Amino acid sequence: MDYHNRILRVLTPADRDVLHPYLTWSELARGSVLVTPNAKIDRLWFIESGLSSIIAMAGNDQGIEVGLAGRDGLVGLPLLLDADRTPHRIFMQVEGAGYSIMADDLRRILDVHPGVRKLLLRYVQAYSTQTTYTALSNAVHTVEERLARWLLMSHDRQDGDEIFLTHDFLALMLGVRRPSVTIALHSLEGLGFIKSTRGLVKVRERTELEDFAGAGYGVPEEEYERLIGPLR
Amino acid sequence: MPRFFLHIDDGTQRIEDEEGSDLPDLAAARNEALHAARQLWAAAIRDGRDLGTGGFLIAGGDGGVLDRLPMDDALPRAMVERLRRA
Repeated sequence: MDYHNRILRVLTPADRDVLHPYLTWSELARGSVLVTPNAKIDRLWFIESGLSSIIAMAGNDQGIEVGLAGRDGLVGLPLLLDADRTPHRIFMQVEGAGYSIMADDLRRILDVHPGVRKLLLRYVQAYSTQTTYTALSNAVHTVEERLARWLLMSHDRQDGDEIFLTHDFLALMLGVRRPSVTIALHSLEGLGFIKSTRGLVKVRERTELEDFAGAGYGVPEEEYERLIGPLR
Repeated sequence: MPRFFLHIDDGTQRIEDEEGSDLPDLAAARNEALHAARQLWAAAIRDGRDLGTGGFLIAGGDGGVLDRLPMDDALPRAMVERLRRA
Protein backbone atom coordinates (compact mmCIF):
# COMPACT_ATOMS: atom_id res chain seq x y z
CA MET A 1 0.00 0.00 0.00
CA ASP A 2 1.48 3.28 -1.10
CA TYR A 3 0.38 6.10 1.16
CA HIS A 4 1.03 9.79 0.57
CA ASN A 5 0.28 10.72 4.16
CA ARG A 6 3.64 11.29 5.84
CA ILE A 7 2.52 9.77 9.14
CA LEU A 8 1.21 6.56 7.59
CA ARG A 9 4.49 6.37 5.70
CA VAL A 10 6.68 6.42 8.79
CA LEU A 11 4.65 3.95 10.84
CA THR A 12 6.38 0.59 11.18
CA PRO A 13 5.00 -2.00 8.74
CA ALA A 14 3.44 -3.89 11.68
CA ASP A 15 1.65 -0.77 12.98
CA ARG A 16 0.54 0.14 9.47
CA ASP A 17 -0.97 -3.34 9.11
CA VAL A 18 -2.91 -2.75 12.32
CA LEU A 19 -4.49 0.43 10.94
CA HIS A 20 -4.92 -0.66 7.35
CA PRO A 21 -8.20 -2.66 7.65
CA TYR A 22 -9.91 0.27 9.37
CA LEU A 23 -8.95 2.97 6.88
CA THR A 24 -11.55 4.20 4.39
CA TRP A 25 -10.44 6.28 1.44
CA SER A 26 -12.53 9.31 0.39
CA GLU A 27 -12.19 12.13 -2.05
CA LEU A 28 -12.41 15.48 -0.33
CA ALA A 29 -13.89 18.26 -2.44
CA ARG A 30 -12.95 21.88 -1.91
CA GLY A 31 -15.12 23.21 0.90
CA SER A 32 -15.81 19.78 2.49
CA VAL A 33 -16.24 20.23 6.22
CA LEU A 34 -14.17 17.69 8.18
CA VAL A 35 -14.92 19.03 11.64
CA THR A 36 -17.97 21.10 12.64
CA PRO A 37 -17.58 23.39 15.67
CA ASN A 38 -18.85 21.87 18.94
CA ALA A 39 -20.21 18.75 17.26
CA LYS A 40 -19.12 15.20 18.00
CA ILE A 41 -16.07 14.23 15.93
CA ASP A 42 -16.76 10.78 14.55
CA ARG A 43 -13.49 10.01 12.76
CA LEU A 44 -9.82 10.83 12.44
CA TRP A 45 -8.49 11.77 9.01
CA PHE A 46 -5.11 10.98 7.54
CA ILE A 47 -4.93 13.57 4.75
CA GLU A 48 -3.45 12.15 1.55
CA SER A 49 -3.59 15.24 -0.63
CA GLY A 50 -5.08 18.71 -0.70
CA LEU A 51 -5.08 21.14 2.17
CA SER A 52 -7.31 21.50 5.19
CA SER A 53 -7.63 24.66 7.24
CA ILE A 54 -8.29 24.84 10.93
CA ILE A 55 -10.31 27.97 11.63
CA ALA A 56 -10.89 29.69 14.98
CA MET A 57 -14.34 31.21 14.72
CA ALA A 58 -15.32 34.72 15.76
CA GLY A 59 -19.08 34.78 15.33
CA ASN A 60 -20.91 33.11 12.49
CA ASP A 61 -19.07 34.17 9.41
CA GLN A 62 -15.79 35.53 10.72
CA GLY A 63 -12.72 33.58 11.58
CA ILE A 64 -8.99 33.20 11.03
CA GLU A 65 -6.91 30.24 10.07
CA VAL A 66 -4.93 28.96 13.05
CA GLY A 67 -3.56 25.80 11.51
CA LEU A 68 -2.95 23.92 8.29
CA ALA A 69 -2.90 20.18 7.63
CA GLY A 70 -2.26 18.37 4.39
CA ARG A 71 -0.49 15.11 3.63
CA ASP A 72 1.78 15.90 6.59
CA GLY A 73 -0.99 15.46 9.07
CA LEU A 74 -4.19 14.43 10.72
CA VAL A 75 -7.56 16.05 11.23
CA GLY A 76 -9.61 15.26 14.32
CA LEU A 77 -6.83 15.66 16.90
CA PRO A 78 -9.21 15.95 19.90
CA LEU A 79 -9.83 12.21 19.49
CA LEU A 80 -6.18 11.57 20.39
CA LEU A 81 -6.47 13.77 23.48
CA ASP A 82 -9.51 12.19 25.12
CA ALA A 83 -11.89 14.84 23.76
CA ASP A 84 -14.73 14.43 21.30
CA ARG A 85 -15.31 17.98 20.03
CA THR A 86 -13.67 21.34 19.41
CA PRO A 87 -14.80 24.94 18.83
CA HIS A 88 -12.73 24.99 15.62
CA ARG A 89 -14.04 24.52 12.12
CA ILE A 90 -11.95 22.42 9.75
CA PHE A 91 -12.57 22.30 6.01
CA MET A 92 -10.75 21.51 2.79
CA GLN A 93 -9.53 24.65 1.11
CA VAL A 94 -7.69 22.76 -1.63
CA GLU A 95 -9.44 19.61 -2.83
CA GLY A 96 -7.76 16.31 -2.19
CA ALA A 97 -8.33 12.95 -0.55
CA GLY A 98 -7.83 11.20 2.75
CA TYR A 99 -8.18 8.02 4.75
CA SER A 100 -10.42 8.06 7.78
CA ILE A 101 -10.80 5.75 10.74
CA MET A 102 -13.88 5.74 12.96
CA ALA A 103 -13.41 7.09 16.49
CA ASP A 104 -14.29 3.80 18.25
CA ASP A 105 -11.85 1.78 16.13
CA LEU A 106 -9.16 4.36 16.71
CA ARG A 107 -9.66 4.28 20.49
CA ARG A 108 -9.28 0.50 20.63
CA ILE A 109 -6.09 0.61 18.55
CA LEU A 110 -4.55 3.41 20.59
CA ASP A 111 -5.15 1.40 23.79
CA VAL A 112 -3.19 -1.63 22.63
CA HIS A 113 -0.68 -0.32 20.10
CA PRO A 114 1.73 2.13 21.75
CA GLY A 115 3.70 2.57 18.51
CA VAL A 116 0.65 4.03 16.77
CA ARG A 117 -0.33 6.12 19.80
CA LYS A 118 3.15 7.61 20.21
CA LEU A 119 3.53 8.61 16.58
CA LEU A 120 0.09 10.21 16.41
CA LEU A 121 0.76 12.11 19.63
CA ARG A 122 4.08 13.32 18.28
CA TYR A 123 2.12 14.82 15.39
CA VAL A 124 -0.09 16.64 17.91
CA GLN A 125 3.10 18.16 19.32
CA ALA A 126 4.35 19.13 15.84
CA TYR A 127 0.98 20.66 14.95
CA SER A 128 0.91 22.53 18.24
CA THR A 129 4.31 24.03 17.40
CA GLN A 130 2.97 25.11 14.01
CA THR A 131 0.05 26.98 15.64
CA THR A 132 2.34 28.75 18.11
CA TYR A 133 4.39 30.06 15.19
CA THR A 134 1.20 31.20 13.50
CA ALA A 135 0.50 33.20 16.68
CA LEU A 136 4.03 34.62 16.56
CA SER A 137 3.70 35.50 12.90
CA ASN A 138 0.31 37.16 13.34
CA ALA A 139 1.77 39.36 16.06
CA VAL A 140 5.11 40.41 14.64
CA HIS A 141 5.15 39.91 10.87
CA THR A 142 3.88 42.04 8.00
CA VAL A 143 1.14 40.75 5.70
CA GLU A 144 3.84 40.16 3.04
CA GLU A 145 5.94 38.03 5.41
CA ARG A 146 2.90 36.10 6.57
CA LEU A 147 1.80 35.50 3.00
CA ALA A 148 5.30 34.20 2.18
CA ARG A 149 5.12 31.85 5.17
CA TRP A 150 1.69 30.65 4.16
CA LEU A 151 2.73 30.00 0.56
CA LEU A 152 5.74 27.99 1.76
CA MET A 153 3.61 25.91 4.12
CA SER A 154 1.19 25.24 1.31
CA HIS A 155 4.02 24.44 -1.12
CA ASP A 156 5.46 21.91 1.38
CA ARG A 157 2.20 19.99 1.35
CA GLN A 158 1.75 19.51 -2.38
CA ASP A 159 3.60 18.43 -5.52
CA GLY A 160 4.54 21.06 -8.06
CA ASP A 161 4.88 24.82 -7.80
CA GLU A 162 1.34 25.95 -8.61
CA ILE A 163 -0.91 26.83 -5.70
CA PHE A 164 -4.57 27.27 -6.64
CA LEU A 165 -6.20 29.77 -4.33
CA THR A 166 -8.37 32.83 -4.67
CA HIS A 167 -7.51 36.10 -2.98
CA ASP A 168 -10.69 35.69 -0.97
CA PHE A 169 -9.36 32.46 0.52
CA LEU A 170 -5.96 33.96 1.20
CA ALA A 171 -7.67 36.85 2.97
CA LEU A 172 -9.42 34.38 5.28
CA MET A 173 -6.16 32.51 5.84
CA LEU A 174 -4.33 35.65 6.82
CA GLY A 175 -7.21 37.42 8.57
CA VAL A 176 -6.97 40.52 6.37
CA ARG A 177 -9.14 42.23 3.79
CA ARG A 178 -8.76 41.19 0.18
CA PRO A 179 -6.94 44.32 -1.08
CA SER A 180 -4.19 43.64 1.49
CA VAL A 181 -3.71 40.24 -0.15
CA THR A 182 -3.73 41.80 -3.63
CA ILE A 183 -0.98 44.23 -2.59
CA ALA A 184 1.07 41.60 -0.76
CA LEU A 185 0.96 39.27 -3.80
CA HIS A 186 1.96 42.21 -5.97
CA SER A 187 4.96 42.92 -3.68
CA LEU A 188 6.16 39.29 -3.66
CA GLU A 189 5.76 39.19 -7.42
CA GLY A 190 7.71 42.44 -7.73
CA LEU A 191 10.55 40.78 -5.82
CA GLY A 192 10.46 37.91 -8.30
CA PHE A 193 9.61 35.21 -5.72
CA ILE A 194 6.23 34.26 -7.20
CA LYS A 195 4.04 34.71 -10.23
CA SER A 196 0.46 35.57 -9.37
CA THR A 197 -2.46 35.29 -11.74
CA ARG A 198 -6.14 34.98 -11.07
CA GLY A 199 -6.74 32.10 -8.64
CA LEU A 200 -3.18 30.80 -9.02
CA VAL A 201 0.16 31.50 -7.38
CA LYS A 202 3.29 29.97 -8.84
CA VAL A 203 6.33 29.67 -6.59
CA ARG A 204 9.43 30.73 -8.53
CA GLU A 205 12.18 31.34 -6.00
CA ARG A 206 11.57 29.14 -3.01
CA THR A 207 14.83 29.81 -1.18
CA GLU A 208 14.37 33.57 -1.42
CA LEU A 209 10.79 33.22 -0.23
CA GLU A 210 12.10 31.34 2.82
CA ASP A 211 14.60 34.09 3.60
CA PHE A 212 11.87 36.69 3.23
CA ALA A 213 9.45 34.81 5.54
CA GLY A 214 12.05 35.03 8.32
CA ALA A 215 11.37 33.48 11.73
CA GLY A 216 7.81 32.48 10.85
CA TYR A 217 9.00 29.67 8.63
CA GLY A 218 11.47 26.93 9.46
CA VAL A 219 11.23 26.10 13.15
CA PRO A 220 7.88 24.25 13.03
CA GLU A 221 9.08 22.43 9.92
CA GLU A 222 12.28 21.33 11.68
CA GLU A 223 10.24 20.19 14.66
CA TYR A 224 8.01 18.16 12.39
CA GLU A 225 10.99 16.45 10.81
CA ARG A 226 12.56 15.77 14.20
CA LEU A 227 9.34 14.30 15.61
CA ILE A 228 7.86 12.54 12.59
CA GLY A 229 10.10 12.44 9.53
CA PRO A 230 10.33 14.02 6.08
CA LEU A 231 7.74 16.76 5.56
CA ARG A 232 8.05 17.40 1.84
CA MET B 1 -25.55 40.68 -6.02
CA PRO B 2 -23.51 42.84 -8.39
CA ARG B 3 -19.77 42.40 -8.64
CA PHE B 4 -17.36 45.20 -7.73
CA PHE B 5 -13.64 45.44 -8.34
CA LEU B 6 -11.40 47.40 -5.98
CA HIS B 7 -8.39 48.40 -8.06
CA ILE B 8 -5.58 50.10 -6.21
CA ASP B 9 -3.86 53.18 -7.60
CA ASP B 10 -0.69 53.56 -5.53
CA GLY B 11 0.22 56.90 -7.04
CA THR B 12 2.58 55.43 -9.62
CA GLN B 13 0.76 52.36 -10.93
CA ARG B 14 -2.54 50.59 -10.90
CA ILE B 15 -2.76 47.21 -9.17
CA GLU B 16 -5.65 45.29 -10.66
CA ASP B 17 -8.24 43.50 -8.58
CA GLU B 18 -8.69 40.47 -10.82
CA GLU B 19 -11.31 38.70 -8.73
CA GLY B 20 -13.75 41.27 -7.43
CA SER B 21 -16.35 40.83 -4.68
CA ASP B 22 -20.10 40.34 -4.72
CA LEU B 23 -21.59 43.22 -2.74
CA PRO B 24 -25.15 44.58 -2.40
CA ASP B 25 -24.46 48.04 -3.86
CA LEU B 26 -21.91 50.78 -4.50
CA ALA B 27 -22.22 52.06 -0.93
CA ALA B 28 -21.16 48.62 0.34
CA ALA B 29 -18.26 48.57 -2.13
CA ARG B 30 -17.16 52.01 -0.94
CA ASN B 31 -17.39 50.83 2.67
CA GLU B 32 -15.26 47.80 1.82
CA ALA B 33 -12.67 50.06 0.18
CA LEU B 34 -12.68 52.33 3.23
CA HIS B 35 -11.96 49.48 5.63
CA ALA B 36 -9.33 48.07 3.30
CA ALA B 37 -7.65 51.49 3.06
CA ARG B 38 -7.55 51.75 6.87
CA GLN B 39 -5.85 48.36 7.00
CA LEU B 40 -3.29 49.49 4.40
CA TRP B 41 -2.63 52.67 6.38
CA ALA B 42 -2.18 50.67 9.60
CA ALA B 43 0.48 48.52 7.93
CA ALA B 44 2.12 51.53 6.26
CA ILE B 45 2.32 53.53 9.50
CA ARG B 46 3.85 50.57 11.29
CA ASP B 47 6.57 50.44 8.61
CA GLY B 48 7.00 54.24 8.58
CA ARG B 49 5.68 54.47 5.01
CA ASP B 50 3.32 56.93 3.37
CA LEU B 51 0.58 55.54 1.15
CA GLY B 52 0.97 58.56 -1.09
CA THR B 53 -1.62 60.21 -3.25
CA GLY B 54 -3.32 57.09 -4.54
CA GLY B 55 -6.59 55.48 -3.69
CA PHE B 56 -9.11 52.85 -4.60
CA LEU B 57 -10.83 52.82 -7.97
CA ILE B 58 -14.17 51.09 -7.56
CA ALA B 59 -15.26 49.45 -10.79
CA GLY B 60 -18.46 47.62 -11.68
CA GLY B 61 -18.94 44.31 -13.40
CA ASP B 62 -18.46 45.87 -16.86
CA GLY B 63 -15.10 47.32 -15.83
CA GLY B 64 -16.18 50.96 -15.76
CA VAL B 65 -14.94 53.02 -12.80
CA LEU B 66 -17.93 54.04 -10.65
CA ASP B 67 -16.23 55.80 -7.77
CA ARG B 68 -12.89 56.68 -6.30
CA LEU B 69 -11.76 56.62 -2.69
CA PRO B 70 -8.54 58.55 -2.00
CA MET B 71 -6.38 56.81 0.62
CA ASP B 72 -6.43 60.05 2.63
CA ASP B 73 -10.20 59.70 3.09
CA ALA B 74 -9.53 56.67 5.26
CA LEU B 75 -7.51 58.63 7.81
CA PRO B 76 -9.33 59.86 10.93
CA ARG B 77 -10.84 63.33 10.26
CA ALA B 78 -9.44 64.84 13.47
CA MET B 79 -5.95 63.70 12.53
CA VAL B 80 -6.17 65.26 9.06
CA GLU B 81 -7.42 68.56 10.60
CA ARG B 82 -4.58 68.59 13.13
CA LEU B 83 -1.98 68.02 10.42
CA ARG B 84 -3.52 70.78 8.31
CA ARG B 85 -3.25 73.27 11.21
CA ALA B 86 0.32 72.27 12.03
